[in-house]
Formats: sequence, structure tokens, C-alpha cells
Amino acid sequence: MDIIVIIFTLTGLIFFFATTVGLLRFPDFYSRMHAAGKGDTLSSLIMLLALVFYNFHEFNLANLLVALKILLIGIFIFMASPTATHAIIDAGYESDIKPWTKKPEEES
Amino acid sequence: MIWQLDLSILSLIVVCAFATIMVKDLLSAAIIFGAYSFLMCLLWTEMGAVDVAFTEASVGAGVSTVLFIAAVHQTSRRVTPRKSGRLLSKVIGLVAALLMGLVLIIAEADFPGFASPFSPASLHLSPYYITQTLHDTNVPNIVTSVLADYRGFDTMFETAVIFTAGLAVIAILRRYKKDDSTEIPEPYTISEGYPDTIIRFVARQLVPFIQLFALYVVAHGHHSPGGGFQGGVIIGASFILLAISFDTRMIIGLMSEKSNILLGNIGVLIYAGIGFLCLLLGANFLDYSILSKVLPATDKVMARSHGMLGIEIGVAIAVMAIVISIYINIVSCGKYDKDV
Repeated sequence: MDIIVIIFTLTGLIFFFATTVGLLRFPDFYSRMHAAGKGDTLSSLIMLLALVFYNFHEFNLANLLVALKILLIGIFIFMASPTATHAIIDAGYESDIKPWTKKPEEES
Repeated sequence: MIWQLDLSILSLIVVCAFATIMVKDLLSAAIIFGAYSFLMCLLWTEMGAVDVAFTEASVGAGVSTVLFIAAVHQTSRRVTPRKSGRLLSKVIGLVAALLMGLVLIIAEADFPGFASPFSPASLHLSPYYITQTLHDTNVPNIVTSVLADYRGFDTMFETAVIFTAGLAVIAILRRYKKDDSTEIPEPYTISEGYPDTIIRFVARQLVPFIQLFALYVVAHGHHSPGGGFQGGVIIGASFILLAISFDTRMIIGLMSEKSNILLGNIGVLIYAGIGFLCLLLGANFLDYSILSKVLPATDKVMARSHGMLGIEIGVAIAVMAIVISIYINIVSCGKYDKDV
């Protein structure tokens, strides 16, 4: 059981790291939000799964209840986080932020 | 307590605090202030003060950030450069601040040492609460019982403070007359909401769960972290979510100004009314154990638990109404839906 927890936590950490790197290194607003939105959701879900398994080191009804609550948090993150990303990107699109393109733009 | 974690969170908090003051863009300042609140919440969770952390997360990081952003949206993102005042006023201000600091430092010398195990509070008060709460009130969450029972008088006036804050916002912002000549900031529009299917759908799905959770927080505050303040703010926040994703007018239809003010009053009245009920039954103000005379099938211990639940409900109603009323007043420039 411990091994599963360690694997999940490490995977989550790797995804969080990728998210942070993407957030800092990507060239424009849209790709940054792309990294933040996807990576953040996935890594928090994986970390929560790790917490659920960690909770089962001793199986009883109380632990099962806590695990269910953690899974509920996961569901809400799964709904709310992509929506927030969508809202931010939509707001950026509405306020005419130019996407980054490969060819050098004329001075805008 | 892990001191490395404490230290890193604390240093981030200091960085955030300075950034909030230094940043010129007010919207960024509001968002950094939200991050500051979340870090405070983390720090408190780490120290084991989960109730306080919960309050900070819902009030400090959640609702007050929304209120700040709404206010910035209605006014201006730029800091107006202040005209440098005269030298004399600056000197007077400096001297006053230094004197105040000196007085505080002198007063601090009389205090027991920080976290000293021999201070009167940790010798007598805290051990009493820790050992006797369950026996006295049958409430496992000590924080709730201290807040709502042993120190109920303080909490009553905290609720009154929130109520007064709501009244102050109404008194300053609300416009009743048509010919109110006060200038309205230029980009004035009542938000029609942003017609986005995804946001609206998710908001509609989430709101019932949020409100259910808020009721749970209010009703379960005896046994787990939470209570009236947090629950009330969460219900208020669910209405604000609807107002942002749908339409401000819809929220005004659901919670009109009249019902808001009425609910705020009722909430504070429930709190004070339970206190006066105790007086009427012949005990001290807010001494809930006497309520066992009127509540069926409760002994003196359970009566204190039920009394706490009653005042938590009052607090929740008041806080919810005030949060919604402050938000509507800010986003509509005090006009509600009328086009004055």
C-alpha cells in the first residue's frame, strides 16, 4: 500500500513541476493557461488519490468516510478548476490578447 | 508543527504583504492580498487552528477578494499619485506614530512572555477549557464552545460589528433619490452576466452542493471545524457566484434589499433574543443551561449545546444577508437595479 501512495505522490509532484515550468516558460497567455489548467487539475487529482490510499493503511468505517470525502473534493476540483481556466482564457480572448505566433510580429 | 514549513510560509507571507503595498495596479494588489490570505490560512492549519484557518479561507481569501475586485472594477485600477503634503504634517505624523509605538512597547513589557507556560492564561484558563468543555457542554469542538458559550458576549458583538459594517456600506453607497448628484464612476453598468454556457452550467451544478455544505458547516460546527460565520459566508458566496455567472438582477430578485436587511436584523435578534430568553428564565445573559426548562427532553448540559446551535444559526443568517447586501451595493454603485 505504501508503494502505491509513494508512486501517486511522486507522479503528482512531477505533474506539478511540469505545470510550474510550463507556467514560467511558455511564450504567451494562452499556452501558459493551458499548462496551468491541465497540469494543476491532474496533479491535484493524483495527489488526492494518494491521500485516499494513504488513508487506508487501516481499514475501517471512519477511514472509508474520510476517503469518500477526499474523493468528493476531487470531483469538485475536477468540475471547478477547468471551468475557472476556461473563464480566464475566455476573458483573455474577449480583451483581444494576441496569441503568440512563430513569425516575428510587426510592432503592435 | 514543522518549523521549516512554518518559516517558509511566514517568509512568503511577508513577501506578499510588501508586494500588496508596493504594487501600483490595484487589481494585482487585490489578488496578491488574496494569496496572502490563503498563506495565512495554510499557516494556521499548520499550527492546528483549523477553525481560524477556515474563517480566513472563506472570509479573507474568498469573499473579501471578490469585494475588492468588485470595488476596483467600479472605480479605477490606478493608484492616484498623492500630492506630497506639507513637511509639518509629515513630522507630526511621524512623531505620533513613534509615540504610539513607544507606548505599545512599554505596555508589552508588562505582558507575560510570548507563549510562556507560566502565564495566567496557560496556567488556569486553557486547562479549564480543555479538560472541562466536554463535561460542561457536551461539545467536542472546544473552539466552538469557547466562542459561543464561555465567550458568547464577545461573539454577540462580533456579529453586531458585521451588521454595523453592512449598515455602513448601505449608508455610504446606497442612492435612494433620483436626483442624487453624486458622481457615478464612468464604466457604470449593472452586470448582465457573461453569456457563457460552460460557466453557467457549472455554476448551476455547484451552487446546491455549496449551500448544502454551508448548512453542514453551520449545523456540524460543534463537532468539526466551522460554525456560523463560515457557514454564513459560504451561503453568501454561493449567491455571489450566481450573481457573477448569471445576472446581478437575478440575485436582487432572489434577495431583495428589504429581505436582506430584514434577515440581517433577524440574525442578530436571534442571538440577542436567546440571551434575553435566558434572562427571562432567571439566569445570566447567554447562560444557555437554563434553556433546559423550555426545551423538551434536554438536561442542563445538552441545553448549552442546543443554545450554541441556536446562536450559530443566528450568526449564519446575519452574515449571509450582510455579505450579499455589501456585494450588491458595491457592484450596482448603490442603485440596486433601478436606473436612477
